[in-house]
Amino acid sequence: MPARTPVGPIALWRSQSGRAAASADRCPHRGMRLSHGFVRGEALSCIYHGWSYARAGNCLRIPAHPGLAPPETIRVPTHEVEECDGVIWVAVGEATAQPPRLQGVVPLRSLTAHAAVAAIEAAAGAKAGVDGFAWQPQSKLQIRLLLVPQGAEETLIHVLLDDDSSLSQRIAASRAVETLRRTAEDLETKATAP
Amino acid sequence: MKLYDYVLSPSCYKVRLMAALTGVKLEIRAVDFHPGAEHRGPELMALNPAGSIPILEDGDLILTESAAMLTYLAAKAGPEWLGSGAPEETARLQQWLSFAHRLTASLGGARLHEMLLRPGDIGTLQAQGIAALRELEAGLVEQGLRGMRFLASDRPTVADIACFPYVALAPDGGVPLDPYPAIRLWSRAIRSLDNFIEMPGIHRLHELKREHVEPGEV
Amino acid sequence: MTHDAMIDEWYPVGLFSQLDTNARKTALMGRPIEVAVEAEGHARVTSGDGRSLPVCVRYGHVWSSLGKPQKDLFAIPEADQPGRTLVDVGVIRVRCSPLRAVENFLDIAHFPFVHTDILGAEPHTEVQDYKVEVRQDADEVWATQVKFYQPQAAKSASGGITTEYMYRVPAPTCCVLYKTCPPRPGEWDVITLFVQPLAEDLCDVWPWMALFDDATPMTDLIHFQQTIFLQDRSILENQIPRLLPLDPGMEIPTRADLTSVAYRRWLKRHNYTYGAQLVAQ
Ligand SMILES: N[C@H](CCC(=O)N[C@@H](CS)C(=O)NCC(=O)O)C(=O)O
Ligand code: FES
Ligand SMILES: [Fe+2]
Repeated sequence: MPARTPVGPIALWRSQSGRAAASADRCPHRGMRLSHGFVRGEALSCIYHGWSYARAGNCLRIPAHPGLAPPETIRVPTHEVEECDGVIWVAVGEATAQPPRLQGVVPLRSLTAHAAVAAIEAAAGAKAGVDGFAWQPQSKLQIRLLLVPQGAEETLIHVLLDDDSSLSQRIAASRAVETLRRTAEDLETKATAP
Repeated sequence: MKLYDYVLSPSCYKVRLMAALTGVKLEIRAVDFHPGAEHRGPELMALNPAGSIPILEDGDLILTESAAMLTYLAAKAGPEWLGSGAPEETARLQQWLSFAHRLTASLGGARLHEMLLRPGDIGTLQAQGIAALRELEAGLVEQGLRGMRFLASDRPTVADIACFPYVALAPDGGVPLDPYPAIRLWSRAIRSLDNFIEMPGIHRLHELKREHVEPGEV
Repeated sequence: MTHDAMIDEWYPVGLFSQLDTNARKTALMGRPIEVAVEAEGHARVTSGDGRSLPVCVRYGHVWSSLGKPQKDLFAIPEADQPGRTLVDVGVIRVRCSPLRAVENFLDIAHFPFVHTDILGAEPHTEVQDYKVEVRQDADEVWATQVKFYQPQAAKSASGGITTEYMYRVPAPTCCVLYKTCPPRPGEWDVITLFVQPLAEDLCDVWPWMALFDDATPMTDLIHFQQTIFLQDRSILENQIPRLLPLDPGMEIPTRADLTSVAYRRWLKRHNYTYGAQLVAQ
């Protein structure tokens, strides 16, 4: 699947054995987005001509030349990936620290807002640190939000909540975050209106 | 059963897909929708004065709404596609079946504009398409929390088939699907169904085919 | 950057059969133009500033140019051969460089993955060596002896066959392909892609065909070609960068891509750079 980082779009994928991997979202052959590709076994293949790449980024196979071992020079840039407490973290450049632990919470959903991080913080009345921020829209709802800027105008919101939440609390949390997004987008529109 | 069909029409594809999934053989009558605008010609207007396709003809019965065609195919050849009949499930099924019209108007309109140069207010069409996709995403998230992979229950119904084509083809109209993880999973679940067929713009799930290993390769 | 070299080329701007006195408002290389067919049957193309532009009507389409074409529109002698069915496939808009649209058309290695079970299928993915040249007399890029295994090579095909192709680039945004014609051994079916550059990253594509096939209804022929092109469209709109990189370091060709390599070199040599990216990044 596609994802955006400060160093550009990436293709995020999980191999058959279950390991997550991230590569640049551009096939070195003819520039097709690799996030449109398909996973077979431990390799990600490009949808255009089927070139396949290992988790480490080296090209494994060029279907147009089945007898040819692809040269080492053909590779797609990759990123370090950590999976921790149900959240996948991607390092841009060299990872200097482990991702923050998020214990006692479970991931609920991720959604994109057409609003900057600041507008979402304003809508929620909180300020985000590396491990996001806690948000309590209703008395019985403890939500943790992780905000990832997607360029200047969009933000990816990861929603987590207490792991002992009931089904109705989970549904309520999902709906509450929809409302938060609407509020943040209204703020953003007002802020940018001439 | 005769389907007045256009290969690039997502609404016609709904009917072809439903027929494939329920094992019904359709007689296809290709309509020159683009560039010929045959759906506005006298022969087709006589069948459907609304001037739209698909049109499904079975003896005396002429259907001009794809939702009715899906229901008809399911009732004839795959009643499990109409849901269990439980009140809540039936209501959800009807909810999404009606909702599908909004996808046609918004994402379908954007696609016709961006691809076949139909006039229209593209900004508004795309914005309405995004609003509809967000609703669908939220609905699928909630279904997922209930332990259900599809719109009305844990098995696909006519509602999923009614919504799937315009959603899957949203990028054709300049509306990206990248921001909707629940839609992606749902779309993959539909594309993985036995007897699923594609239409142009929806690529084969090549991962379902095993890697071909050349003799002598490791 | 100047794009002068491409200004003087002919471009398709409409289907003759679909035009009337109501002008079709469109664009050519970033400039608005209007295309109409007058009551007496003459095509007329006018630029936004009211200038009358050069016009010719050929291969089902109206052609025009913002500059002064030095040559007549390229010849496709097969178009006049008796017994062929001429197919106006109609316009399809693609958000990509006009040059990327042509390059994709020259490529066979994508058939098994993009046109699965029609123009190709795994495990038949190998591209055998073929010949590529720039024909000096006509100044055209040609690829010949291109062979590929195809499950359903044409609407009229009933099973898998190895198809032979020839590709020809007679103008920077036009491509003509010749392919084995199952009902007429010894003849070639002609399938073209005429691309109208609206902007450097936006084009209207007008596929057109001249086939030996009197068995298949016209609508089915149109739909077959629209199917194929729509499968390509979702690829073309997702290549990065949108413009065609002419810098050889930017993408990695193999032997299967020799036509594309020759096409890019030919574009560069002629300064055909509308829709191209000259330096990396
Ligand atoms: N009656 C609706 C119509 C579906 C629809 O919008 N069909 C398009 C083709 S995809 C159509 O015929 N449009 C008529 C037109 O745009 O002229 C249905 O069956 O769902
Ligand atoms: S662009 Fe990826 S394999 Fe060709
Ligand atoms: Fe193609």
